[in-house]
Amino acid sequence: VASVADDADRAVLALVANGQLDALQELYDKYRTMAYSIALRITADASLAEDVVQDAFLGAWRNAARYVEGKGSVKTWLLSIVHHRAVDAVRRRRPTSELPEREETPPASLTLPDIWQEVAGNLEREEIATALATLSDVQREAIELAYFGGLTQQEIAAQTGAPLGTVKSRIRLGLLAMRSALVGDRGSPSGTPAGDGSP
Amino acid sequence: MSETPMTHEQALDLAAGFVLGALEPAEESAVREHLRTCPESHDEFAELGGVVAYLAEADLELVEPPAALRDRIMAAAAADLAARSAEAAPPARPDVTAVAFPTPAEREIRTGRRTDRLGWAMRIAAVVAILALAGWNILLQAQLGAARQYETAVASVISAAGEAGSQTVILTPTENNRAAGIAAIRPDGSVVAAMRDLPPTAGSEVYEAWVIVGDAAPVPVGDFTVGSNGIGAFTTSPANAPPGAIIAVSREPGPGSTAPRGPIVSTGVGVAQES
Repeated sequence: VASVADDADRAVLALVANGQLDALQELYDKYRTMAYSIALRITADASLAEDVVQDAFLGAWRNAARYVEGKGSVKTWLLSIVHHRAVDAVRRRRPTSELPEREETPPASLTLPDIWQEVAGNLEREEIATALATLSDVQREAIELAYFGGLTQQEIAAQTGAPLGTVKSRIRLGLLAMRSALVGDRGSPSGTPAGDGSP
Repeated sequence: MSETPMTHEQALDLAAGFVLGALEPAEESAVREHLRTCPESHDEFAELGGVVAYLAEADLELVEPPAALRDRIMAAAAADLAARSAEAAPPARPDVTAVAFPTPAEREIRTGRRTDRLGWAMRIAAVVAILALAGWNILLQAQLGAARQYETAVASVISAAGEAGSQTVILTPTENNRAAGIAAIRPDGSVVAAMRDLPPTAGSEVYEAWVIVGDAAPVPVGDFTVGSNGIGAFTTSPANAPPGAIIAVSREPGPGSTAPRGPIVSTGVGVAQES
């Protein structure tokens, strides 16, 4: 069951898809702080962060019609565009990096289960922060280097000196632990959210 | 890795890295391809992906963006809307990627389209009107300067397009680019163009304009640089550019390229005007 906030966002996005500039401004005003904060955290460069946010909202403006209802909230969709663009911008500054082909929408099979829609509207920032705090230091480090640092798993392995397999399991187990802390018993993670992935 | 299809187990092993965007490009492409084609369940992708949506909120210092950013975004969206309405009529939007020139068959399809003078004039009028007036948040001096520069360039294109025997071109962005504009090909084959949303050139970089006729190799016809406002206004040297010729603009590491080395950012096809 989608929250009321999600329904309102979908209505605004439908207007954006229809070329309504004031709807875009409404969407921007609602999510500009989150969007800019994510971009700034990832790029650590105010000017580049502005470019990323502009690029992301124009991407949303042009691709609003491609948002598919039932596959995550508008907020998730929008912020994932910001995240992708910010990571691309950071990688572009590293001369040796190749950029993957980005898509505005996840593959059809990557739908969010109902459980996420159910909890999405009810989570407070403190709850989310508490969930992140349940991770071990090395799990949190690996996940943050990936999400906020824009590093690939291989780059994280090189930077931290941990074997690639260890980095992969730290990230996977860390995400599962956070999921378990957020959702509790309402979902059944397909892995065991324990340990820090050390060999 | 992208050559050989990935097994289901290999894809699952990369699920966490995938949802975080932390795979190498080849791995990411292979996983995407797997998700498109594999009939088995991929619940773990969704389970892990749902967590990623909350990472941003978990540990983020909230910072308000500068107020001017809203104006920039809204001005860019207004210009995009103008270009969209200008492109609503034929000629068909070229489907050209950053690395591939259109096939001869595609060129034939596109060159079959024609447009009439009135339709063209109205489309230009729409672009000019919206940039001059309805770019409703263009308040900053720099943006106003850019809008005026573009308007002046558009006026040059309209003037060239008015010459008997000229062709018109709508320049549309290639994939992952935003550069767009309009151009006229004079009877002597020189191209007069007005473009916007071009990433600024740096160092020795230039944009090069190319004319492509049929199956022949692209012919360079002129280069230009672009400042921070993203506006490109240029007139090329005369070239053989019969109706149906493709005009392409690429970003080159330096002047003097004899074949495109950098990505093609924008393309359009010359359309003869009916008299």
